Amino acid sequence: MKALILVGGFGTRLRPLTLSFPKPLVDFANKPMILHQIEALKEVGVTEVVLAINYRPEVMINFLKDFEDKLGITITCSQETEPLGTAGPLALARDKLADGSGEPFFVLNSDVISEYPFAELIEFHKSHGGEATIMVTKVDEPSKYGVVVMEEATGRVDRFVEKPKIFVGNKINAGIYLLNPSVLDRIELRPTSIEKEVFPQIAADQKLYAMVLPGFWMDVGQPRDYITGLRLYLDSLRKKSAARLATGAHVVGNVLVHESAKIGEGCLIGPDVAIGPGCIVEDGVRLSRCTVMRGVRIKKHACISNSIIGWHSTVGQWARIENMTILGEDVHVCDEVYSNGGVVLPHKEIKSSILKPEIVM
Amino acid sequence: MAGSEERVVAVIMVGGPTKGTRFRPLSLNVPKPLFPLAGQPMVHHPISACRRIPNLAQIYLIGFYEEREFALYVSSISNELRIPVRYLREDKPHGSAGGLYSFRDYIMEDSPSHIVLLNCDICSSFPLPDMLEAHKKYEGMGTLLVNKVSAESANQFGELVADPETNELLHYTEKPETFVSDLINCGVYIFTPNIFSAIEDVLKQKKDRANLRRVSSFEALQSATKALPADFVRLDQDILSPLAGKKELYTYQTLDFWEQIKTPGMSLRCSGLYLSQFRRTSPHLLASGDGKRTATIVGDVYIHPSAKVHPTSKIGPNVSISANARVGAGARLINCIILDDVEIMENAVVIHSIVGWKSSIGKWSRVQGEGDHNAKLGITILGEAVDVEDEVVVVNSIVLPNKTLNVSVQEEIIL
Repeated sequence: MKALILVGGFGTRLRPLTLSFPKPLVDFANKPMILHQIEALKEVGVTEVVLAINYRPEVMINFLKDFEDKLGITITCSQETEPLGTAGPLALARDKLADGSGEPFFVLNSDVISEYPFAELIEFHKSHGGEATIMVTKVDEPSKYGVVVMEEATGRVDRFVEKPKIFVGNKINAGIYLLNPSVLDRIELRPTSIEKEVFPQIAADQKLYAMVLPGFWMDVGQPRDYITGLRLYLDSLRKKSAARLATGAHVVGNVLVHESAKIGEGCLIGPDVAIGPGCIVEDGVRLSRCTVMRGVRIKKHACISNSIIGWHSTVGQWARIENMTILGEDVHVCDEVYSNGGVVLPHKEIKSSILKPEIVM
Repeated sequence: MAGSEERVVAVIMVGGPTKGTRFRPLSLNVPKPLFPLAGQPMVHHPISACRRIPNLAQIYLIGFYEEREFALYVSSISNELRIPVRYLREDKPHGSAGGLYSFRDYIMEDSPSHIVLLNCDICSSFPLPDMLEAHKKYEGMGTLLVNKVSAESANQFGELVADPETNELLHYTEKPETFVSDLINCGVYIFTPNIFSAIEDVLKQKKDRANLRRVSSFEALQSATKALPADFVRLDQDILSPLAGKKELYTYQTLDFWEQIKTPGMSLRCSGLYLSQFRRTSPHLLASGDGKRTATIVGDVYIHPSAKVHPTSKIGPNVSISANARVGAGARLINCIILDDVEIMENAVVIHSIVGWKSSIGKWSRVQGEGDHNAKLGITILGEAVDVEDEVVVVNSIVLPNKTLNVSVQEEIIL
């Protein structure tokens, strides 16, 4: 089977992290986001992944070369020279996706983190005999999204309602699809939207089905959702493979610590923390609801909550980092400094406290 | 014997509970003169300065606080300095000259040749022995300690003009609207006992004026009821202003530190000034440590002998820690005053703040001010028995006594 991952553009909403790496390569739970998807695809027998990308493909290719061998999967890029929306890239990659086997292929939105229940998706797709299956997820405030109105018993999609003012349902498009190659015949090579143009057409032909996504779902395209997404991901990990989570007197709740990271004495870590490879957490440090990326050093007695610490940054002794502080790559926070919601671009030194949320260029 | 002719009596005006409201919330718990700066009550610093005057016979504290508020302190400081210190309570405020006059019998009991008068809420090195020598040379009735400040800030004080040759006080005006001079009155004086006759003259004039008013128009009567009581005599307006330029008053300029202690923010700055004075005058009072057996100490730090400070903590500069305070492992204290019985727990951080008696600062919590001593919320102040729970952040805030903070606050006054 094959899969197309819609990577898209600059990932501006996840800056300053995406100033250093394209969004799919930004670490989430100690692994580049896109690897979560590629590994899950590999699990269900996908042999070739096409990345639809319009920004810095060389960085992606170089990075993913290593994983092609490790995972035994072919990864290629389909580069848009102009933005083609969410459906155009399918047309562009048509030759790669339609290989004559007649097998359905996956399409994934790269911002989405979930348990990726691809096996169930395949099974459901085969059972209904339609042309396409989309995964939907339940949300609390459907009026903010495009709602998928479907027949409860069969899952057949009736219609889509964009930002409904009155309640029509609470399931929204989760950005994970399984499509028959015939869907490609419905897409022209021009900027076009799969959600707004292609799916309504298939639904009108009564050949579009929706499956409710079991487990969690989060669009981690921006920092606040990234931090929430980590909590959901770790909750799910607790249920599925608790052995991968850290244990000990210094751990509270769900904590993921890379085997090469070092944690000092008298620390209290968790809940909902990911500590990446090669990190050094010195004595007396407090971490909660945060991501500490590869190569970071957290010095003694520092306290971090609700924040993201970018690659190879350092946080000084008795520093306090909180309230959606995002440190880009190689940021150095001096001793005793307080950051309340500072968003810091890469390669900066922070010498004085940031008392209110602000961007440090 | 020369000593009997040269006796000096010191008088320190300490004010009363209705004064010094700007010092709240700290003055809700303790009379402002007893608030500790550099680990010693505010009034202790002028008292020890007075102690250095040769032939000092007695120190009086004059104010209108309850006697019992000063009883304990007065007896312990008398013993410690081996000099009689006595608190004299005014039944009501009389002004600084009026207050002095109302206790003239006590003050003159020892037949002093000179009377040192100073206000409690100033922070200075109090160069009293040198000032006394200068006073004797001037041969006037009184000598004022004066200080040069920036032209912009001068109008908060009594501005004065002195003769650059003779140092005679030529002109004095209290808090003028327009700029007069950048020389200001420090609130430290040395007088000969003639000061009492000067005050008496003023009282007499006031009485005459009041009598005159009584028989004059209705309008005058009205304004008289609003005016200060007849026995209220201010030193500045009623004595210094009229006597300026009459070869009675002289000035002595200090080049050392001088500040007024009106607000909690300023008390933190003044605590630092006294600590740096200790570095020169009594370094044995300052803590030291390198983080091995005792805490790491940076700059000037005072730690009361009964306080327990963990060796992994780092303290200073400008920190003063009072009796029975406990500072936990990995705590960090910078520019702060920690009062009696406070507990600072593991890995907590306190910067530019004053932490009130019996308060507790939770693990990994942070109490911080911006560090501007003059701004309303520039220094974070926690009143008595404030509990900051684990991991909570308190920035640029004032918290009144007996509050528990379980969520972070910034730029707030918490009643």
